[in-house]
Amino acid sequence: MTTLTGETHGVGTRPRQAAAGLDWWLLGMALAVSGFGVFVVRAATESDVASNSGFYFTRQLAFTVVGLVCLFFMLRINLDDLSRYVWTIYAILVASVGAVLVLGASARGSTRWIDLGPVRLQPSELGKVVIAFVLAVVVVERLKAIEPARLSLMVLGLTMLPAVIVFLQPDLGTALVYVAIAMVILWVAGQPITHFIVAGAVIVAAVGMILYVLPAAGLNVLHPYQVDRLTSFVDSGSDRTQSGYQLEQSKVAIGSGGAFGKGPSGATQTINDFLPEHHTDFIFAVVAEMFGFLGGGLLIAAYFIIVWRAIVIMRLAPTELERLVAAGIAAMLAFEVFVNIGMNVGIMPITGIPLPFMSYGGSHTLTNLVAVGVLLGIGMRGRAVQAAGAA
Amino acid sequence: MASFAGLAIVLLVVLVVRLWFLQVIGGAGYQERAEANRLRTVITEAPRGAITDRNGKALVTSKEVLNLVAQPQDLVGDAGARTLTRLSAALGHPAGFFAAKVARAQKASPFEAVVLQEDASPQLQAYVEERRAQLPGIELQAAYKREYPNGTMAAHLLGYTGPIPVESARKYRDQGYLGNETVGRAGIESEYEGYLRGIAGRQQVEVDARGDIVGRGVISQTSPRPGQTLRLSIDLSVQKALERALALEVAAAGTSTGAAGVAIDPKTGAVLAMASLPTFKPDVFESGTPREIQRVLTSPGRPLLDRAIGGEYPAASTFKAITASAALASGLYTAGEQIEAPGSLLLYKTRFRGFNNEAYGPIALPQALEVSSDTFFYTLGDRSYRVPGWPLQEWSHRFGLGQATGIDLTEGESAGLIPDLAYKRQTCDRKVDPINCSWRPGDSINMSIGQGNVLVTPVQMAVAYGAIGNGGKVVTPTLGNAVVDADGRVLRDLLSARAIRDLGLPAKNLDQVKQGLKLAANGNSGTSTPVFGGLPPAFKVAGKTGTAENPSKIDHAWFVGYAPADDPTIVVAVVVERGGQGANSAAPAVCVTMAASLGFAESRCGSGAKVN
Repeated sequence: MTTLTGETHGVGTRPRQAAAGLDWWLLGMALAVSGFGVFVVRAATESDVASNSGFYFTRQLAFTVVGLVCLFFMLRINLDDLSRYVWTIYAILVASVGAVLVLGASARGSTRWIDLGPVRLQPSELGKVVIAFVLAVVVVERLKAIEPARLSLMVLGLTMLPAVIVFLQPDLGTALVYVAIAMVILWVAGQPITHFIVAGAVIVAAVGMILYVLPAAGLNVLHPYQVDRLTSFVDSGSDRTQSGYQLEQSKVAIGSGGAFGKGPSGATQTINDFLPEHHTDFIFAVVAEMFGFLGGGLLIAAYFIIVWRAIVIMRLAPTELERLVAAGIAAMLAFEVFVNIGMNVGIMPITGIPLPFMSYGGSHTLTNLVAVGVLLGIGMRGRAVQAAGAA
Repeated sequence: MASFAGLAIVLLVVLVVRLWFLQVIGGAGYQERAEANRLRTVITEAPRGAITDRNGKALVTSKEVLNLVAQPQDLVGDAGARTLTRLSAALGHPAGFFAAKVARAQKASPFEAVVLQEDASPQLQAYVEERRAQLPGIELQAAYKREYPNGTMAAHLLGYTGPIPVESARKYRDQGYLGNETVGRAGIESEYEGYLRGIAGRQQVEVDARGDIVGRGVISQTSPRPGQTLRLSIDLSVQKALERALALEVAAAGTSTGAAGVAIDPKTGAVLAMASLPTFKPDVFESGTPREIQRVLTSPGRPLLDRAIGGEYPAASTFKAITASAALASGLYTAGEQIEAPGSLLLYKTRFRGFNNEAYGPIALPQALEVSSDTFFYTLGDRSYRVPGWPLQEWSHRFGLGQATGIDLTEGESAGLIPDLAYKRQTCDRKVDPINCSWRPGDSINMSIGQGNVLVTPVQMAVAYGAIGNGGKVVTPTLGNAVVDADGRVLRDLLSARAIRDLGLPAKNLDQVKQGLKLAANGNSGTSTPVFGGLPPAFKVAGKTGTAENPSKIDHAWFVGYAPADDPTIVVAVVVERGGQGANSAAPAVCVTMAASLGFAESRCGSGAKVN
């Protein structure tokens, strides 16, 4: 694959130098989708808060601005330098998601946030990028040192600790993203295919146990609503539960958008509130209702470009660590996009995974833009090394 | 590396294909469902038209009430089920009571409000108002309910209203009815549904997920149109008199299982009063308890049967006026001829006995009607057997017997029975009694006094005697008088277009019968002279008693008569089941009814001395 940004290479002004090797496609698409996301959040939530039609809009705009600052900050972070603190970083991750779990339990209800006065931080979101970094470091350091099976087990162990805590918060979706990141990092690191076959079998068995066998034995691992969510996409029409209703309304919203959509003011499923969670998990349905197959298709195409650029950057990565981090982030984005849109259109279970750059939420928006910053930084260093090699 | 890009492309294609199916191929269907979500039709009920008597006195009115209703769109999922369960418990019903009701109604008409309880009591209204927030999808809706200011008065002819029956749901929907509307189910309520029906107003509004009106608000609307007022020909004072008299006779007879009476204006066919006992509360199907409804439906006394138009009884001696007319018209009897009327008559080796075996010697037709001689009419019956043709049957039909009168209560009317050869062939048992498959002399002889298989309804007899009294016009009995506006101005005349048929009996023949009927009520030996003999000269009655033998062993009592005898304005037929002799239990009820209509004192009834 060729880079489309090659022509900017070597031009000598300072700002240009600072931007040398920047993947404009990735940055441009991330910015475009984020901006579109802010617009859709605004259009979808104007009548949600009675006294303040811009409640969600102003917040999402602020999150995006903060996210962009972080994005440009991440360009300069050298991951190799950071790898010295990997265990500290991992400990902070586990401690923070653990703290959320404990605080949530003591508040007699579930929560995913740590309250920091004016802002609430959701550590499990930033944890997605953190876990990609931690696992990449662990794999790079031990790939040659220990046998493959032990490495795979170690990586899975390091993943499952925070994943289980997050799952207990309860946040099944984010926990699944952690697992997806781990699997892809192991795959890119070249672990034997048998590991993935075994892992796949274990996952199928675990799902079977959790959904069917254990409940039959009287042990319910999942909350009833989680079971509903996971199974309702199979036959939502006959489902009278809340998640069946959500999915049904999502399909009606998307389907009624038709080829060209009903426009922001005609999207009655959204603005009349028939579609729940229309600014978070079901924001894709809002896009499809407002802008039809055309808008939904273009958005999917934009996500494809983002994932494609992530894969390109992964190939350019100057170090194995950066290659694995890029792979983890690409996996995170691709997994979230597919599972979220799949859930909106009714071909994937409802797992509460937000849509990158679109769904409302501070930690989520921040995480995605930080991830893009990390990718862009890797890409810039990769092109610099390439240019140095060519020279 | 390439495998990741490839996987990404596959996933992208999967999503886009799925999106294509949802939006481009399935788009129209989902658009409809989005519209069904967004749009709600708010129904404003319109009151059903009132029903009044001929003087504008209310018989049925509509009262505004609040119904407890469920909006099914707001009662989805577990939350909806919980709300209905909570409400069922609060109102003392089994847990699934309202949920089942909603499910049933949903099947019939999915997007309509479901009435959970009609005419909510003030306590129930307060309960719901106070718990608005806890009972989403449950509301109080203005509606109308039928009110009957006179209680059970005229229940049978008025009929009743109720929900649309499941089997005719489609028919009503095609006429623009909503599934949950109340419609006329019997009597006048059903017959004149087209005028009485109020057409609900519909307002289409845009709502959000909570059911609140939002956005463009009212999108379209039609105003409710109240039903029209129907004025009946019934005279409430005559109706009251008839019902009171019937109840009195039923009570006095002790053994009686029911009674019926009809009073008609013989000139127009306008029904002045019509009643049937036992009766029922006309609002039983709207607000009766299940047990009350069950009792009305299954009581052995059959309270829902309108005996005045649907009760078939042997005509007995009241039929003698028909036999007389047939004999005169067919030349079997000529005015002035005297016929021997012994206590019994031996004909065809069979002894036909007269009532109490009383012998009257040779008498003419008017005297025969006066004393109600059976043997006199046996002779006429025998003569009718001997001539070609079927004079008794022909004249029965001319008087309107054996067929529906066409009263504007289509669903409740019976045809009665005038037996003929075809009937005999149809009903005989060829193996056991083949000779009975032919028309035999005894059939004509029994028929001449209204026994045998002759069955008539009270309304048929009123029409037949009305035709004698009014000089030969067979009218169509009619309850509906006019559709009127709020000020009583006639919008549509329902009476004048009704058919009046000519009997075709020459006046000199008719006079013979009239003379006989007048004697029967006033003559020295008249069968009902004790009842009518003392009436003022202006209100002389002409009429005939009947004592109908029937399987129950206790005779049904009949009286049919008209007044004033020379220019009648009212003809009344009364039958008291198992009431004994006509003169004793039916005639007094007729007299009381006539008193109310003609304006003479009721006390004059029964003041005529019987000279025997």
